[in-house]
Amino acid sequence: MSAIELHGVCKAYKNKPILHNLDLTINAGSFTVIFGGPASGKSVLLRLIMGLEKPDRGQILIRDTDAAHLLPAERNIGYIPQSFALYPHFSVYDNIAYPLTLARVDKASIKARVEDAANRLKISALLNKKPNQLSGGEKQRVAIARGIVKDTEIFIFDDPLTGLDFKLREQLFDDFKRLREAMDATFVYTTSDALEALMMADEIAALANGQIVEQGKTEDVFYNPAHMQTLYNLGFPPATLLNGTLERYNGKFMCHTQLFSFPVSLSDTGSAPTDVRVGIRPQHLCVNERPTPNSLKTEARIILLEDLGGELVIYLDKDGFTFESVLPHAKDHLLNGDEAVVHVDPRMLLVFDPQSGMKIGQGVE
Amino acid sequence: MKNPRRVLYNIALWAVAIFFFSPIAWIALASFKTKNGILATPPQLIFAPTLDNYADFFTRPNVGQYFLNSILLSVAAVLLAILVSFLASYCFSRFQPKATGFLMFLLLSIRMVPAAASVVPVFLMYTAFGWKDNWLGIMLFYAMFSIPFSVWILKGFIDGVSQRYDETALVNGGSRLHVLFKVVLPQVRPGLIAAFIFNFIFVWNEFLINFIIGGKTTTTIPTALIIGVSNNQGMDWTFVATLTTIYILPPIIAIYFFQKYLLVGMTFGTVRGEV
Repeated sequence: MSAIELHGVCKAYKNKPILHNLDLTINAGSFTVIFGGPASGKSVLLRLIMGLEKPDRGQILIRDTDAAHLLPAERNIGYIPQSFALYPHFSVYDNIAYPLTLARVDKASIKARVEDAANRLKISALLNKKPNQLSGGEKQRVAIARGIVKDTEIFIFDDPLTGLDFKLREQLFDDFKRLREAMDATFVYTTSDALEALMMADEIAALANGQIVEQGKTEDVFYNPAHMQTLYNLGFPPATLLNGTLERYNGKFMCHTQLFSFPVSLSDTGSAPTDVRVGIRPQHLCVNERPTPNSLKTEARIILLEDLGGELVIYLDKDGFTFESVLPHAKDHLLNGDEAVVHVDPRMLLVFDPQSGMKIGQGVE
Repeated sequence: MKNPRRVLYNIALWAVAIFFFSPIAWIALASFKTKNGILATPPQLIFAPTLDNYADFFTRPNVGQYFLNSILLSVAAVLLAILVSFLASYCFSRFQPKATGFLMFLLLSIRMVPAAASVVPVFLMYTAFGWKDNWLGIMLFYAMFSIPFSVWILKGFIDGVSQRYDETALVNGGSRLHVLFKVVLPQVRPGLIAAFIFNFIFVWNEFLINFIIGGKTTTTIPTALIIGVSNNQGMDWTFVATLTTIYILPPIIAIYFFQKYLLVGMTFGTVRGEV
């Protein structure tokens, strides 16, 4: 069963299209992350769902009901905004109680529910403070508590961890996941941070060019992305994108790039373009390791080594083209300026249509 | 040892302050002198103060009425102006209707028109409406004149209140009026105070319009100062000094307590300091 559905939704500002013919289905009880780059229209999408703006075209269903004429309050959605939006003239208690006060819930119930939400987020000691007495992390916890105290099963998080330090964000990842499981609710969460998306999402909906270009289980979207932008953005460091040309040879297709030439399996051989983009995750490029029999090889020069503790990022250069490889462990014998052998399993090379950005095939052995 | 430049700077500041404050000190001291003492040459700096002028002042007819008119007209006009301005600036800030920039410019330009330029049309209009010497009519004029500046100050403040506050309230079931008065208004209180003080001082000091379209029932203190300055023995300096001293007290007290808000008013809310 779906909690939210959008069909053919369009939204433009001053004739500049932001969302174009967007379709999205958010399953009830899922933790769905809408993942997209900055200014990709994530917040606009959420504002449309919450009823803060009206779509120019298209239909929005909330709990299987057409939401066209529903006011924001009538949609009954818990909202955690990006910028906390804690009312500075209210105490933490009053801020958390705010949705219940507006709903005219009786005081005893408000007290019980505020205390319950505060306990879940470990902010019980802060209830009498004012927002300006809180740290960034505490403010965000209060904002979350205010969002979840509402008597609903759909919650929207508008990129709520922006600007917080990494340690705090990690703690809040756990909080969000625990909360969703405990509440058995639908969480819709937007972010442009790959780590947030990968750590929390059951499902990822990738937003690019004003459309949801792909949606699926997190593992599927990560390992088998359908869109070039998803491959590029969803992961760290970003994927390497190569220019390639397709060549038909004895009924089969070969792809030539500045690093490798490899045979390709295309999903639709009839309409394949000649010029393509080829994507590869840095984690799939191996440096100076024993290659498998069918792996592709090339030589490149090491220009920078970044030891991140658990893994090593190697910046490589081949004829002026720079790309990265990530090894899961440090390699003491690698040095800046060394010539290195880089190899890759051809099945990890994904081929995209440069116009639509959609995947049209991948390398084969 | 102090920096000589700083010492000179302080001396210059004190000299300018004393220069500008001396007429106020003179009129305040004059209110405690006899008529001959006020006009003595050379001026008396050391004298036996007397409260006779104040005793005489409060026995004069209509003095209480003048004060009441000044206070009620100022407070009512400014409160009405701030209410209207708050709603207007929220609209300009949040909904940004077409030509918002031009409308804001137009509003401010109204305030820039010298009162003397509007006297004749206002006089004709008030005569035609039968609003001369009408308390409500004069109050509306002052409110109208106070609106542009208030809109400018309040729009600057409301722009500074994130729209996420409004949206959070709307999503949670608050109405627009709830957002206006329970969410936004408490956060722009310094702007409201700044707008109140600035416009209060304007209305409190206004003379020309009150003199032209006012009358016996709506005379404020500035007008009373003009119509009451002369008696049978020429200029009534003790009355002028006493009335002026009492008249300047409310703005001085207001400025003393709310001076930090004046900065935000002068910069249309763009510089907020510690308010």
